[in-house]
Amino acid sequence: MTISPAGTEHVVAGLHRPVRRRPRLTSVRVTMLLLVTPSAFLLLLITAYPLGYAAFQSVHDGTLITGGSYVGLSNYGNTLTSAAFWDAAKFTVVFTVVGVFGSWLVGLGLALLLRSKFPGRGLFKVLLLLPWVVPVVVSATSMNYLVATSSSPMPKLFHALGLGSPLFLADPTWAQVTVCVYKVWVSFPFMMLMVSAALSSIDETVYEAARVDGASSWQQFTGISLPMIARSTYISWILMTIFCVNDFPTIYLLTGGGPESSTTPLVVLAYRTVFQDFQVGPGVAIAFVMTLILVVVSTLLYRQIRKATYQ
Amino acid sequence: MTAVDERVLAASSGSAPLRANRMRPRRQWWRFAAALGITAIAMIPVAVVVYLSLRPGTGSTSTATITFENFTNVFQATQTLTWLRNSLMVTLGTVVVSVAVAAPAGYVLSRGRGRTVSGYSLLLFVVQSLPVITSVIPLFIVFAKLGLVDSLLGLGIVYVGVSMSVATWMMAAYMDSVPLSLEQAAWIDGASVFGSFLRIVLPNSLPGVLSTAIFTFLVSWNDYLVAIVFIRTNTAFTLPLGLESFFQQNVTDWGSVMAIAVVMTAPPVIVFGTLHRFFSVGGIGGALAGQ
Repeated sequence: MTISPAGTEHVVAGLHRPVRRRPRLTSVRVTMLLLVTPSAFLLLLITAYPLGYAAFQSVHDGTLITGGSYVGLSNYGNTLTSAAFWDAAKFTVVFTVVGVFGSWLVGLGLALLLRSKFPGRGLFKVLLLLPWVVPVVVSATSMNYLVATSSSPMPKLFHALGLGSPLFLADPTWAQVTVCVYKVWVSFPFMMLMVSAALSSIDETVYEAARVDGASSWQQFTGISLPMIARSTYISWILMTIFCVNDFPTIYLLTGGGPESSTTPLVVLAYRTVFQDFQVGPGVAIAFVMTLILVVVSTLLYRQIRKATYQ
Repeated sequence: MTAVDERVLAASSGSAPLRANRMRPRRQWWRFAAALGITAIAMIPVAVVVYLSLRPGTGSTSTATITFENFTNVFQATQTLTWLRNSLMVTLGTVVVSVAVAAPAGYVLSRGRGRTVSGYSLLLFVVQSLPVITSVIPLFIVFAKLGLVDSLLGLGIVYVGVSMSVATWMMAAYMDSVPLSLEQAAWIDGASVFGSFLRIVLPNSLPGVLSTAIFTFLVSWNDYLVAIVFIRTNTAFTLPLGLESFFQQNVTDWGSVMAIAVVMTAPPVIVFGTLHRFFSVGGIGGALAGQ
């Protein structure tokens, strides 16, 4: 055992010792406790307490000012039977699936493209991060300029190319497509960074060995690259799923959830229910259902990470 | 001869470098063209912002191709300067407090073991996936009682809380790479655990600190949802709210709108442009995978 301040070995080095029933409150433990206290306090204040309060609100018929009276699970019942909720749930799924896999495919393609050396590679790498670094409020404004009205540049371009004059934000289906494409544009740099980091950790000799055995580029990709980055891929999918389901500004700033609620995901529905219709209980119930879906999905994917360990 | 045969032969006969020299120019050209094309398309929304901000606005008498009058207009006639100051204050406050809170917590996650520590780290994972909207609604009610609604202080507190779990992971991931032996040497010399954290681990994880700082900077600078819920008056607006409200009222005044947009985009681009080599998204993923 190394020399260390009294009791350090319990916390720092002697981690594989059997856990004592009643741990002594040594100075090290106190230090560790003090170091983690501010973070735990914030966790309690910003997450735990509001979550408890939200649980309370979801079974009451209160407003933003009053607590209201107990109404049981009727807020959840009303939510789960309303058409607006299911429409929003459907769009959340579409938006998330397109957002996660669209940005992953683009990010993967670019990471592969930028892996080999060619002139200007460093500059491209930095420039391609811009969509992610530029604030969403700014890029949403820019998208508004590009697509909002029939005299905007994009509809004009479509017209000139003989593709008709689609109403990008006024037609429900086109609005959904526009929002999804915009989300992929915002998120692909994140995926590119994740995939690049994972690819760079693969030992080059593995590829050399595969080439000697006659593996084609495609075989190297599906046989080496994809399995080797599987762990990081699952993580990036989990993170992006969370980002997409919770994404408020990308959608709200571009379409406001319209036209006719066609681009309203659960998070926008929850916001509107609370802050525009002033129905706190039902709004919080929607947010809770959303939370539940997220926890389930990320737990399932989290298990996949554990399976996808290197052989 | 098929492509595969050629490669096998080239590799086995030891002429790989020669082949590579022959193949590279054409491949490079193809990759360069593809990267250029994709980057050009991806840059359109960004380029539009910069271009429109430099064009003479509607009602302008200027005939110049490029002008800065949108910027002078915006700074004189709108509250952009106030919004910029608000955004800077909230963001810098959030970054400093986040790092100050996440660094010690990250140290505990990195060095400590046992059920309590791993439980806490799992808790941070769960918290990270919770929708901000769920906690924002009750917080609004609580903050209203405390007089923290419509205040930059309240906004900063929420940002620190929202970014804390990921920030803690990022710090823990970097501190994992600081060898324990460095600390043990300090302990031999009589340093306390807190002393070795402050003088050994923290200075050695400066890239981690910067990475965490960039992350929290981006979170609070770009936030719209928390700000729209908590901030009500024009003078307390942060830039996202200011830009959005100005845009709603002056939809056709693209020059001024985009000038504010450029003012808002510059700080994150400068921060990221100068510090991006310290920023590793892989760090976030790695931290998560280590749980």
